[in-house]
Amino acid sequence: MHDLVAMEEVSRKFPMDHSYVNALDHTNFRVVPGEFMAIAGPSGSGKSTLLNLIGCIDKPTTGRVLLDGVDTSTLKTTRLTALRRDKIGFVFQTFNLIPVFTASENVEFPLLLQGMPAQERRDRVSVALDSVGLTERAKHRPDLLSGGERQRVAVARAIVHRPALVLADEPTANLDTRNATQLIDLMRDLNRRLGLTFIFSTHDQRLLEHADRIVELCDGRVTSDRKSDSLSKRGQSCGSFSCSRLEMSSGTGAGH
Amino acid sequence: MWKFLLLAFRNVFRNRRRTLMTLTMVGGGVAGLLLVGGFFAFMFRGLRESTINNGLGHLQIYTANHFRRDETRALETGIDHWQQVAGVVSSGRHVRGVAPRIEFYGIISNGVKSSVFMGSAVDPDSEKGLGFTPRLTAGRDLDGKPSGEMEALIGTGVARSMNVKVGDGLTLLAVTSDGALNGVDVQIVGLVNTGYKEVDDRYLRITLPSAQRLLQSDRVTNLVVGLDATENTDQVWAELAPRLRGLPQEVTLKKWVELATYYNQVKTLFSGIFLFLGIIVFFMVVMSSVNTLLMAMLERTREIGTMLAMGTPRSWVVGLFVLEATLIGVLGALAGVVGGNLIGTMLNHAGLHMPPPPGLTVDLAFRVLHVPSLMIGSSLLVISSLALASILPAVRASRLQIAEALAHV
Repeated sequence: MHDLVAMEEVSRKFPMDHSYVNALDHTNFRVVPGEFMAIAGPSGSGKSTLLNLIGCIDKPTTGRVLLDGVDTSTLKTTRLTALRRDKIGFVFQTFNLIPVFTASENVEFPLLLQGMPAQERRDRVSVALDSVGLTERAKHRPDLLSGGERQRVAVARAIVHRPALVLADEPTANLDTRNATQLIDLMRDLNRRLGLTFIFSTHDQRLLEHADRIVELCDGRVTSDRKSDSLSKRGQSCGSFSCSRLEMSSGTGAGH
Repeated sequence: MWKFLLLAFRNVFRNRRRTLMTLTMVGGGVAGLLLVGGFFAFMFRGLRESTINNGLGHLQIYTANHFRRDETRALETGIDHWQQVAGVVSSGRHVRGVAPRIEFYGIISNGVKSSVFMGSAVDPDSEKGLGFTPRLTAGRDLDGKPSGEMEALIGTGVARSMNVKVGDGLTLLAVTSDGALNGVDVQIVGLVNTGYKEVDDRYLRITLPSAQRLLQSDRVTNLVVGLDATENTDQVWAELAPRLRGLPQEVTLKKWVELATYYNQVKTLFSGIFLFLGIIVFFMVVMSSVNTLLMAMLERTREIGTMLAMGTPRSWVVGLFVLEATLIGVLGALAGVVGGNLIGTMLNHAGLHMPPPPGLTVDLAFRVLHVPSLMIGSSLLVISSLALASILPAVRASRLQIAEALAHV
């Protein structure tokens, strides 16, 4: 099976005062289509930076990020924009819905960007909203939806254009237990039913328990990359995961 | 595309209070321009019609030589056989009538004191036919077929200077067309107040035969043509000019606007003032809108970041902001046009009057004309101002770093 995502010796440095901070340091891993993968780690460990690089909204300082075989680090802005539009769906911690659009209009937005005909858009939106169980709430604006409903709309928006990859940054962080559980179940169901690849960053133990694979970051380095079944029993973790740093080579993906 | 229009429209009303403030400012600017411009248009129209009806007429016919060289003798460049020329013109469409005139100058005397006069000799019946009636403060107008002495109208300033009244006699002295000095006695039949002191101090009006006798010539200086409406001036000019080319004496046809020096000066001055006001409104709208739109952009940083992350082209973000500003401009212009016309109508019904402007001795009615071209122009001005003001925030929004924008709190 070909790699959907490949990180090759990826580093990302950010300038700070007169020096640099290493947000990611020589990171390597690969993701194959259909994975349900979590990126775990404490705040500041580089989870969001990693997702930004995979999502083509940032570029590595060194190394290569390949998406579906295309080296995104060398692409121009317009190509990156097209790549995001066609291949990636985003789910954000704070939902990030367009507040003046209804739920269905928010879900329709990625299809508008693709220039899809109106009738096809309507059909796709209907299916997407149905798949997240929000058909009845289609005409409601985000301010009339609960947090859980908003995040489900965000998921519908992320999958409506049938992307190769869905990136979710702390998707359950702003949800209560019930809504978080519903969202996890929903994402898992979409992954299994549609074969969608999910990569999400999270602190949420509930979400980690559902992940096929967990890549753990600490101080910008991959400290663990494993199947998730043993995570809850692991003896070493970092920050909120109470770890000491694991100095393992950040290379092989669990799916390979 | 209409979804983006919908998005822009809804964004406009996202912060209603701020939008209302912007609309008030934009609408106020448009309404202000309409009121000032409408009043100026009323003044221009009033000045135009009074200039024409005070004797300038819509068209005037002179000999071509009149504008080529100064006269060395009276009526040297005057029109011969003016009745023939008048006959050609009178048959034209929209022509109400033709009035012959002699413009001359000389000395007026009461036997004790002398003064210079600027004289105009007219055919009273033709003048009345065109509605050119002098503004009399005493006495009556000239009689077209006087039975007794030669009649004259003088300005109130002349009457005061000469210490004469209606019924008194005066002597006019002028150089004839042969270069000799000639004089005639006239009886004052009326006093005229033109509204301009400088004119009233030199004003004299006598009949055409009286002037021809004084100047010893059958010529006239010019023919004044009156039309049924000022708006037909260009059309009649275009029709008459070729017909006049076939006459034995070379004549030239002038439109009123070419001869109305004072009107043109006033119009230039007030157009300049209006342009200045337009520039002020433009900067007012641009400066305040840039601030408002920048605030809107900052508030929506994360949303813009989200849109960009999803693959929205940066040019679309620019377009969205420009579209939103343009929509505010359109709504503001609409509000301004409605408000401006409403206030203008109310002011017109209030019957206000302005004090006499410099150079005039009569007050001025305050009216606001509803000028469609002004409405369109003012609206386009504020719409383009807002579109221009949106470019900076729009470009800034489009250049946001997506990762930073998504992390924006």
